[in-house]
Amino acid sequence: MNKNFLYLLVFALFIITISEFIGFQAIPIGSFTIGLLPLVFAILLTMFLGLKVFRKGIWKKIYSDNNIHFAGKYLIFIMLPLMARYGADVAPQIREILQIGWVFIIQELGNLGTVFLGLPIALLLGLRREAIGATLGIGREGELAYISEKYTLESKEGRGVLSIYIIGTLFGAIFFSVFAPILLDLGIRVEALAMASGVGSGSMMSAASATLVARIPEMESTILAYASASQLLTSFLGTFTMVFLAAPIQAFMYKKLVRGDNK
Amino acid sequence: MNIQLNKYVKYGLILLLSVALILFTMEIKLIKNPDSTPITSMTFVGLGVLWLFSMFGIIFSDIMQKSPVKIIRDFPILGWVSITSLILCLISDFFVQAIQAVDFLSITTPILTFAGISVANRLVDLRNTSWKVAIVAIFVFTGTYAGSALLAQIGLFLSGN
Repeated sequence: MNKNFLYLLVFALFIITISEFIGFQAIPIGSFTIGLLPLVFAILLTMFLGLKVFRKGIWKKIYSDNNIHFAGKYLIFIMLPLMARYGADVAPQIREILQIGWVFIIQELGNLGTVFLGLPIALLLGLRREAIGATLGIGREGELAYISEKYTLESKEGRGVLSIYIIGTLFGAIFFSVFAPILLDLGIRVEALAMASGVGSGSMMSAASATLVARIPEMESTILAYASASQLLTSFLGTFTMVFLAAPIQAFMYKKLVRGDNK
Repeated sequence: MNIQLNKYVKYGLILLLSVALILFTMEIKLIKNPDSTPITSMTFVGLGVLWLFSMFGIIFSDIMQKSPVKIIRDFPILGWVSITSLILCLISDFFVQAIQAVDFLSITTPILTFAGISVANRLVDLRNTSWKVAIVAIFVFTGTYAGSALLAQIGLFLSGN
């Protein structure tokens, strides 16, 4: 196992080197500019190279079960220095943030967008009880815990939330790093986008805020401060928003929409 | 007690790996682009501070597990680290300067590298996911982000900022 771990380390250094050498790529698509950061290349490369077809010889040693388990189990600890960095970003701007504190709290309600936008689409596509799990939130640990407690993970609701969890884990960071600059091009202020970046998942927040920093480097301190303050708020208020707002609103809409459907 | 200590030694080593990878990434960034954040003695202090604050956060989170309030027990380690760091950075500006000598984007690349490796066995699970849920996922992610961004935009406008 120790020897395989060494392979993992060398592989990680290799991936970081390649990703950094590809560097920040701005890709104009029509009137939008999508910015791809080294972090996007890092996750795409590691996911692609981890495909089962490649798992032969040295690749099998890199992607050994122990190594994959290690990466998953300790990912959260590898992220901790990033979280510590956010403290230093918020501290110098704490007055400014508290002054517009109510805006931070109001935008938390925007997380209900998963229900308002996601639920009708899910029902339109013919999903029923899966839709409950799939649209309650972005399917992070909070929603997983809530759904599994209320419906169990083997239920249809449970399958819905698990699917979103998997899709979010795989593609969430990539999605936000592409979507954030699109909204920027549509005319949304970078401060608002920075606040919205606190979606409740560490890697998704990092991806969203990092792309914004790459697009507008002179606003780096504001972007990081707003994003991390909002992320902190989401980790505090997220559960309340889910239990007392998202879930009841979802139940209400579900009843209305499904009944209308059956007529 | 011994098991407890072993646990912290393990976390300490993993955090050491994490900050070492950040340093490596900064170095590579500098080779690619000499204008990026320079590596100074302050960078090393900053990495040390990040390591220390992460450790504090872990210990703090362990202590909070004894809290009778469920919300506090369930509060993620990631949050405790940010709060610990925020408080210490408010106390002394030195920490802020040290941490900001560490390039932000260089922190993110190693994390996503490990994130990618960790999901290697999950790709198979995608087969059990219907294309319908995949479409719904796009709207769910769009909904939360655009929803928050629009409310923030309106809020900032109303507050005259």
